[in-house]
Amino acid sequence: MDKVDVLIVGAGASGGLLAAKLAQAGKSVLLLETGPQHALGSKGDLYSSQIWARRLKWGGPNSETGGANPLSVTFNSGWGVGGAAIHHYAVWPRLHADDFQLRSDFGVGRDWPLTYDDLRPYYDRVQKEVGISGDHKAEIWRPAGEPYPMPPVPMFAQGRLIAGGFTKLGMHTSPIPLAINTEVYNGRSACLYDGWCDAGCPIGALANPLATYLPQALEAKAQVMTGATVTRVLTNAAGTQASGVEYFDASGQRQEQMARVVILAAFAVQNPRILLNSREGGLANRSGQVGRGMAAHPSLGIYGLFKEETQNIYGVTGGQLLNQDSYAKAPSQGQKASFSWLIANALKPNDLLGVAGSRVDLFGEPLHAFMQQAAGHLAIMTYIGEDRISEDNRLTLSSQKDLYGFPVAQLVHQHSKTGLSAVEVGTRQGLAVMKAAGATESWAGGLGGQHILGGTVMGSDPQTSVTDSYGRTHDVPNLFVTGTTLFASTGAVNPTFTVHSLALRTADHLIERWSEFG
Amino acid sequence: MDEPLFSAAVLNRREVLARMGLGLAALTISTVLGPLSPAQARTQGVLLKHFTPAETATLEAWNDTLVPGAAEAGVMYFLDDQLGKDLPLLLLRYTDFPAPALSFYQGGIHALDALSQAQYQQPFAQLDAAKRISLAGQVAQGSAKSWDGPPAPLFYFVTRSDAVDVYYGTEAGFARLKLPYMAHIAPPKAW
Repeated sequence: MDKVDVLIVGAGASGGLLAAKLAQAGKSVLLLETGPQHALGSKGDLYSSQIWARRLKWGGPNSETGGANPLSVTFNSGWGVGGAAIHHYAVWPRLHADDFQLRSDFGVGRDWPLTYDDLRPYYDRVQKEVGISGDHKAEIWRPAGEPYPMPPVPMFAQGRLIAGGFTKLGMHTSPIPLAINTEVYNGRSACLYDGWCDAGCPIGALANPLATYLPQALEAKAQVMTGATVTRVLTNAAGTQASGVEYFDASGQRQEQMARVVILAAFAVQNPRILLNSREGGLANRSGQVGRGMAAHPSLGIYGLFKEETQNIYGVTGGQLLNQDSYAKAPSQGQKASFSWLIANALKPNDLLGVAGSRVDLFGEPLHAFMQQAAGHLAIMTYIGEDRISEDNRLTLSSQKDLYGFPVAQLVHQHSKTGLSAVEVGTRQGLAVMKAAGATESWAGGLGGQHILGGTVMGSDPQTSVTDSYGRTHDVPNLFVTGTTLFASTGAVNPTFTVHSLALRTADHLIERWSEFG
Repeated sequence: MDEPLFSAAVLNRREVLARMGLGLAALTISTVLGPLSPAQARTQGVLLKHFTPAETATLEAWNDTLVPGAAEAGVMYFLDDQLGKDLPLLLLRYTDFPAPALSFYQGGIHALDALSQAQYQQPFAQLDAAKRISLAGQVAQGSAKSWDGPPAPLFYFVTRSDAVDVYYGTEAGFARLKLPYMAHIAPPKAW
């Protein structure tokens, strides 16, 4: 293919948005996606099954994972067009203002090279373009911004029960902000509340990229090539100017594709891996920070069994309600990390987050007895906590090689003491809420790490960060990086809304400054 | 906060669909069942491709200990079918296990039988229910001595999930729990 204006590696949330905006601005855009195509609709492949849903999780070469709290790269990543956002739960809260300036305000972690006020207009624009359901007034913790364009999702029994527990403890709940349609929005269907979000929403009610920006990109003549595995960014000899990428096509043939601008939008594992594989010592790695500064949100479920029917099969996977009473950083009062509660997630019987997974200690007839009871009477709320971006949580290249002879990623991860301390506080709080709500039994599930973050962290100083606030690498001016890989702190919210907002800001920047690249 | 828009207790699924202006038929394609479901394959004694008869007996007995009924539901045929695919739909994938999936299962089978022989001088499939449960508890807790296979709690976790998938994760499994399946797009196979 002839040299293109913009080559994007990865057809997920940020890649799809950037492709749409840049193609609409008249740029020739090519997306290279290593996985397969997926499709919405009755003839698509987003089957309602937790087993089949695993097709949407990473299917490329295994990463080596280790450390005290190994992360599941496969579970957290996506496979194919749509990326990780194809199976995301569309919980779209905003980061809070203090998440952007941990170093300045609290002397820990890093500052982002932008503030909430810088990003707010982009949150508002994405919110309007994609559509978010919620109640901004009830969401008393939310930083300033436009009201949500759609009313909140309905509440089912488990939401009402757990909300009662929060109320008894003097705490507040609000509808959860979701990029899920509660009414027809921009021609996309409204949700049916049958809890199959994890399997990919085939009716387009949930804002996965197949329903939002990718159709716009295709309409504006952007091209998507599947089965195209990018292995390296190609540069001049000095490594200061990107010329394109090397990739292997669906038939395994090595190819080169030239481009004026290269954007890595391949998630927080493959982005740094590609940079490290691109050049001895890593491309765009003057700071030595490529692969460093990684983290994940500590996450666990708090479960309660109720005498009442909880209707846990209904609703959406992301939840019905939100609580952020503990979204605050007050070191002097002992609170060093924030956390959120995603309340009343819809449940299916199987898979990692299903009913059976809530009591992995049970087997045999006791498991059957539990399943019969829990199927109609279990309730859940999910802890999403802040953790520190750590220099020791690091992605490096493994001695293992992929199909094409390039080292796979090796990722070592350990939650911070600060993050784990907040988990302890949250667990006690969650169990108290369930008890106050009237649960006859309550327990905490196992700790996991959700949303892999960091690896090409943004910052103001080229000596300590990989990109600027637009995701433009400090060392290679026509090489950009997008996605959770840019995050300089974790916050305590799901990251996809912020990923979209950062990508929109990058798109504006590229369009405004295009003369530098043309 | 505001009162809920509506409650599932007073609206069945068809009413929800009507409210949303969408018909179920428009959202669901006909189920295209494969030639045999895992349970049917077991009933007909179809040979497995990836496990020997002895391995099959051990792993099937193990799965049925963890989730009674999983054997009859065809868990071994589900596993055998998946292990023949480029991208098996097994929960093992979530663990980023650094070896081929088949070796994980075979390693666990051999470790389990060795453990059974060491403690009871019999292969696992020939143990009575009480002894199977005792060994399952040891494997689950990682307390089994002389376990020489993939990490014992991981083997328990993954195989329990396989059995749960087949027994509870299908449309028939939902029915066992009296739960509505409510497929947007029915999967092309029963599981």
